[in-house]
Amino acid sequence: MDPVTKALIAAAIGLAAGLWSSESALRVTSGLDATRIGAWTASVDAGTPDADPYTRASIERSGEIPLALGEGLQLVARVDDAGVALDPRCVYRVGAKAPAARYWTLGLVDRRGFPIDNAAKRSVFRSSELLRDEKGEFSIVVSASARAGNWLPIGARQRFYLVLRLYDSPFSATAAAIDKDALPRIVKESCK
Amino acid sequence: MRLVFDLATIALGAALTAGLVHIVAILIVPLYASNDAFARLSALGPINATIVLPQAAPNARLIPFGDPAVAAAFCRYDLRNGPLRVTAPAPRYEYSSLSFHTSRGGIFYALTDRAATQGKFEALVVTDEQLRAITARESEDEPSQELRIVSPTSEGFVMMRAFSEAPSLYGAAQTRANALRCQPEAPQS
Repeated sequence: MDPVTKALIAAAIGLAAGLWSSESALRVTSGLDATRIGAWTASVDAGTPDADPYTRASIERSGEIPLALGEGLQLVARVDDAGVALDPRCVYRVGAKAPAARYWTLGLVDRRGFPIDNAAKRSVFRSSELLRDEKGEFSIVVSASARAGNWLPIGARQRFYLVLRLYDSPFSATAAAIDKDALPRIVKESCK
Repeated sequence: MRLVFDLATIALGAALTAGLVHIVAILIVPLYASNDAFARLSALGPINATIVLPQAAPNARLIPFGDPAVAAAFCRYDLRNGPLRVTAPAPRYEYSSLSFHTSRGGIFYALTDRAATQGKFEALVVTDEQLRAITARESEDEPSQELRIVSPTSEGFVMMRAFSEAPSLYGAAQTRANALRCQPEAPQS
């Protein structure tokens, strides 16, 4: 094989592999600076000039407008507490505590970050509208079929993420300081 | 043997090329992203106008990861026409926030209603050059108390968010967000 042919083959494979790996990195990763706490992932530097190249590129592509450090913090769970991907056929119990914040919300989104349509027209729970027990703790059931109490419906049989947003939280700038036990746990109860 | 050597050199060359392409691609995406948040917001209306974002919903697919509990409005600015005066009411006990974004997606300043004075947000967004011109004109004895925020880029947008404590209060939150005002100040000479 002559060197030119070899170089051309190598360049073609390299170009394809390089583009594919970039594309999948932007689709899958949550940035080099992401902080993982239990099932939750936070990217504190998102939207700041200090964000790493992966975080920046993925935000540019998605069109997301991240929360500023002074506004709050967004955490995303793609898995349950056992580290298994969230499954629309399963029932999850989310609770019982959330980190200190003036308000927080728990929402359910598809893989691109949009709410999923459901008959109950509910895609988010606010800290200010939750039913709580006498200890001030809460429990939100995430499932496809209707439940009494705090129920966050899974509208369609597709992969979904849970999004926890803390507004006016002392943890905004220091997500790494959040204790795992201070975040809501995501426990799988049963699956169909 | 010869074939093995050929394949090995091709694999090595491909791996090096792939690595290089990967790094370059990741770094240039932000420079060429034509569909980032700023571009999407630009399509919604003119600069300096306050525009309400639709509530995050399954069929509102412009900006991902929006919070359905939080109403949002924004205005785009261009400081080449002079500094921008931003005002908005900030009623006590109701969460609202202002954040200042560059056209490239970075956030350079943010504050919540807790930092607002006398129930309102007020700030002047300026370029570095405009700030120097303003401070040069001021008397040193009476420094201005106004909040001046230096934008790293001449174009960008201001985002106002207002939290709704219950689904029925979303409309009221949207009214609060929509009270954001962005007015260009005449460039002083």
